[in-house]
Amino acid sequence: MAKQPGKDNFTRNLVIAVVVGVLLIMLVPTLLSRQTDSSASIPANVSADRGYGVVFNGELTGVPVVDIYEDFQCPVCAQFTQLNGPYIESLIAEKKATVVYHTLSFLGPESVNAANAAACSADEGKFLDYHRLLMMNQKQENSGAWDNTFLASLGQTAGITSQKFSSCVNKGEYVGWVSNVAAAGAKANVNSTPTVFVNGKEIDRNASEYFDAAKFKAAVERG
Amino acid sequence: MKKIQPWLGLAARLILGGTLIVAGYLKFDELDKSQMAVRAYEMLPISLANFLGIVVPFFELAVGILLVIGAAVRISGALSALLMIGFMIAISQAWARGLSIDCGCFGGGGQVPEGEANYLTPLLRDTGLALLGIYLTLFPHTKFGLDKSPAPATQLGESNNG
Repeated sequence: MAKQPGKDNFTRNLVIAVVVGVLLIMLVPTLLSRQTDSSASIPANVSADRGYGVVFNGELTGVPVVDIYEDFQCPVCAQFTQLNGPYIESLIAEKKATVVYHTLSFLGPESVNAANAAACSADEGKFLDYHRLLMMNQKQENSGAWDNTFLASLGQTAGITSQKFSSCVNKGEYVGWVSNVAAAGAKANVNSTPTVFVNGKEIDRNASEYFDAAKFKAAVERG
Repeated sequence: MKKIQPWLGLAARLILGGTLIVAGYLKFDELDKSQMAVRAYEMLPISLANFLGIVVPFFELAVGILLVIGAAVRISGALSALLMIGFMIAISQAWARGLSIDCGCFGGGGQVPEGEANYLTPLLRDTGLALLGIYLTLFPHTKFGLDKSPAPATQLGESNNG
């Protein structure tokens, strides 16, 4: 390709430099923001060692460890919760398993709002109630329905009365934690929601262990 | 043919560049999903897949913009052809292994229920786009681009150009 020197080439090179430069300048902070931010404040019952999930019965030994990855806006996650939620909550109440909730947010900004609000509810000891309410009140994805005003009022439905909760929701107190959860989920190779690991091994999607309550129970008990 | 070639090149640039810009832009907003899409191909180590999930949308945007404005057409054409060939390898191996995933070509991605995966459409589309990229690598002189043409005669007075 015979390149001719001249001011036209200058324009061309400038354009190339600007396009490539601007995208690189945007790329670098994006890559950096995906790193785990260990200084982000974390809600109650969260353990960095367990992928920043919200942990129940973390102190038990010799019981199955159930890791649940879900997005509050994912309709299939709501179906999963409706089907298996009561069993999972009974595992927690009867101390039969360690359960870790990983609130992913890949479906967009309102998933981040919801995950942040759920973290605030963990501080109030109401994570399970709030989690259930969110799943029951799913709206059109990112339609503006799950703004912080709604999420704060949903807390009252869950029986949370403190002022601290609504300010935590409105401030987005745990948004940094939400992205840490996402980064940990990416490292754990979670490629769809819901994803459930029992003792670190994913249960079998193709053998309907997700959407057959009896098979799900068997998969957990198998350990 | 001499007269038509720059116009064909322009069409190739706009189709290929436009597709890349759309594809990059749609992923740009949901990089978590983009990472998920790359991981779901189960081809690369997870950390590399996560890295590519972020880099690829930026790369698509950059190459797409350069193609549309017609700067560095040969290099951009070659890079996008390579990108498309990479996609075709990824899609083919997913198909051959019977993975149930969304191609994630225009955002989205990750696992899908059994039997819902569609590999033929993206494969055909990427083949076409790869051919456009190869064409631009071979014939990078196009209408209305910033790149200089080799001979002024192709820019002006084309009717005299035989």
